[in-house]
Amino acid sequence: MIFLSGSRTRAAGAVLHGSTLVAMGLCWAVPAFADDVIRVVSPYQTTTLDPMRSAAAGNIETYGQLYSRLLRRNSETGALEPGLAEKWEISPEGKSYTFHLRDAQFSDGSPITAADVAFSLDRIRSDKRSAYPAPLGAVESVTAADAKTVFITLKSAFAPFLGNAEIWNMGIVSKADVEKRGEEAAFATVPVTSGPYEVKQWKPNEKLVLQPNPHYWRKGYPNSDATVELIEITSPETRIAMLKAGEVDVVRAVPWAQIGELEAAELVDMRLEPSTTIYMTLLNHKREPFSNLKARQAASMAIDNKAIAAAITRGYAEPANTTLPGSVDFHDKDYPGIPHEPAKAKELLAESGMAGREVKILATADAPAQQTALLIQAQWQAIGLKPVIVNVDGAAWWDATGKGDYDAAANWWYNETLDPDLAVRWAVCGSCGSNSYNTFYANAKVDALVEQGAKEADQAKRAEIYKKIQKITTEEVAQIPLYYAPNAVAYSKRLQGLKLTPSLQWTLEETSIVP
Amino acid sequence: MPLLQLISRRLLQLIGVLAGISLVTFLLVHMAPGDPARLLAGERASAETIAAIRSQYGLDLPLWRQFLTYLANLAFGDIGLSLRFQRPVSQLIEQFMWPTLFLTGYVLCLAIPPTVVLAILGARRPGGIADQIIRLLGIAGLTIPVFWLGIMMSRFFGVSLGWFPVSGYGTGFTGHIHHLFLPALSTAIWLVPVLTQSLRAALIEKTAADFVTAARAQGATERQIFWQTMLPNALLPTLHLLGVMVAFMIGGAVIVETVYAVPGLGTLMVNALLGRDYYVVQGLTLIFAVSTVLVTLIVDLLTAVIDPRVRF
Repeated sequence: MIFLSGSRTRAAGAVLHGSTLVAMGLCWAVPAFADDVIRVVSPYQTTTLDPMRSAAAGNIETYGQLYSRLLRRNSETGALEPGLAEKWEISPEGKSYTFHLRDAQFSDGSPITAADVAFSLDRIRSDKRSAYPAPLGAVESVTAADAKTVFITLKSAFAPFLGNAEIWNMGIVSKADVEKRGEEAAFATVPVTSGPYEVKQWKPNEKLVLQPNPHYWRKGYPNSDATVELIEITSPETRIAMLKAGEVDVVRAVPWAQIGELEAAELVDMRLEPSTTIYMTLLNHKREPFSNLKARQAASMAIDNKAIAAAITRGYAEPANTTLPGSVDFHDKDYPGIPHEPAKAKELLAESGMAGREVKILATADAPAQQTALLIQAQWQAIGLKPVIVNVDGAAWWDATGKGDYDAAANWWYNETLDPDLAVRWAVCGSCGSNSYNTFYANAKVDALVEQGAKEADQAKRAEIYKKIQKITTEEVAQIPLYYAPNAVAYSKRLQGLKLTPSLQWTLEETSIVP
Repeated sequence: MPLLQLISRRLLQLIGVLAGISLVTFLLVHMAPGDPARLLAGERASAETIAAIRSQYGLDLPLWRQFLTYLANLAFGDIGLSLRFQRPVSQLIEQFMWPTLFLTGYVLCLAIPPTVVLAILGARRPGGIADQIIRLLGIAGLTIPVFWLGIMMSRFFGVSLGWFPVSGYGTGFTGHIHHLFLPALSTAIWLVPVLTQSLRAALIEKTAADFVTAARAQGATERQIFWQTMLPNALLPTLHLLGVMVAFMIGGAVIVETVYAVPGLGTLMVNALLGRDYYVVQGLTLIFAVSTVLVTLIVDLLTAVIDPRVRF
């Protein structure tokens, strides 16, 4: 209890000095912040610095700053380019990959070797606690041939492999350091990093402070020697106020209602950046009413997703036409989508025998989730369902959907690459371990198409396959697609070259501060 | 040694309170739906991954075994590791405690002087113009929701005028004073009317008390009567109320801390609850219990100083 008694002295001090300093505080001008800090606020938290351990939003954004991968994406074009691997060869049958590493170093100055790559990828692939091994699902083995050469053998040809090797959890960590300090300790405070930044200080639940990694392999980057603060602020009001008061440079997840106001603000560059995010409503296929195809079709026809997109996002998002995100490769732009036909929906529902059924809609506390739930409830009521909204927090939401204890639940997801392979495995595949995103939708034909799409090397044929998947799953209403939302991010105009890529990575290393 | 008796009795009580609270919190957080492992690993993690994480942290054991382990650790002063951050809970609490304590102290500095002045002004002529205005303002202060007031003040004084920062804790003593001014003011605006009402009522009640008449009969001046007889007697109920409020602020500054992004215990508690960070929630409830008991103890000691008749 030593700290408590200490605080009393502080409190007593506050009593003595309080009044005079309040007066002083009133006349203070806010000190313009030092030029050498870039502050980014986001509602998403960093909870672990180990790239293998989490697939949650805040961590994904952090990993890209700390760890380099075999390949990287050009921040302008989005094209894959050499990362830690300087070049690579693919065997003619597409099953073995040879990566040649460049001379690169970790933040502690030690060389990044093939052994580190094999170690890192093996952890992601086979460690029991790995949060997202799916991108490496096709890998048979990873071996270090010599200090600078990595062999990767696949179980069978797998078209999206190079793209998957670039995903946020594929960061290369130091084998020596993890073995020396142990898995928990190595990532607990200041990990050895291979990316543009290293950790200066981590205050969990508050902020992560990064500084440029002096040994970063891309010479001349980060562009600016500024330290970077990734600050976690839950309240959207507060995030916007901080930006307007000049206390931060970047605000992630700007609420739709605030965009107009920020677009008019002089020092703010309000941007709607392309994303692979799709908002949709899950339906529980495991129990009635939505185990019934006609009931699902009725529910989807009852929903006017153009009106929903316009109402919730104030027209900033596109209505969705298929079960896949609008910006992934092979998205079928010409597919007409599910028509809004309330009269026909009512008929279909009556035919299905599910009219008058109670429907449990799960909703979390954030504004879009609440609005969506209300709009869906009204439109379903109109066709003869009895929807009830159940309010839960995020943890209870995952619990209920995972167990199938719900009927409908609106949410969003995004795909980490432009290739649709991981998207279909996540959202509509019954045999890929995701239960089709907790909907328990399973169609053997779709599952077969998913595997076929991954193996097919011919682009036109792949396009056909994914077109089929979208048609089947949208017609069968695996989920109800609502809208394709851009990432709404507000930037201070003093920054140049910063953006949030569709794979949710900040291009901080290419950012400079305008004097 | 009545003083020592009081302290030792309180400490004994504290043990009982802590035991009860740890059991209740433990059951509540563990029985709420939601899985810390899922929140940790993210949505894409498979059921096997979640199971592996649960078993690593001992979350797969029967509840009673988890509770016994927790109690055993507690007995050695170890309140556990944060599930989310793999850091000792005590370290997290230490990190987030200072802004909250500073804020509480700051609120007291801002609230006590106006409370005393306003209550005296009001009680001097109950029903007079000054009294009416003070009561009206008090009602206004009480009815404005803290979160709304907070947002408005940060927009006006922070964004439009630029006088005060709208977020954070700042560095150094003056930095804290500057950063926490708006949060402290938002809280004080709500606290002052509560305390003023209590103190005013007590003052008015004491004007008619026998001992005041007796003092007057003995020839004391009105000034002496007020400062030496009425005020000390009237202070006691307000002091107790203040104690409750301070304990409440230490544990419940959630709204103000969220609106002004103060990295304090309230923010930590909310995020720990949302993240199902069991040991952090449990640790915080224990700290809140301890601080409540300590604050009440301090209030009792102050009472004894002000009113020597009080015996324990």
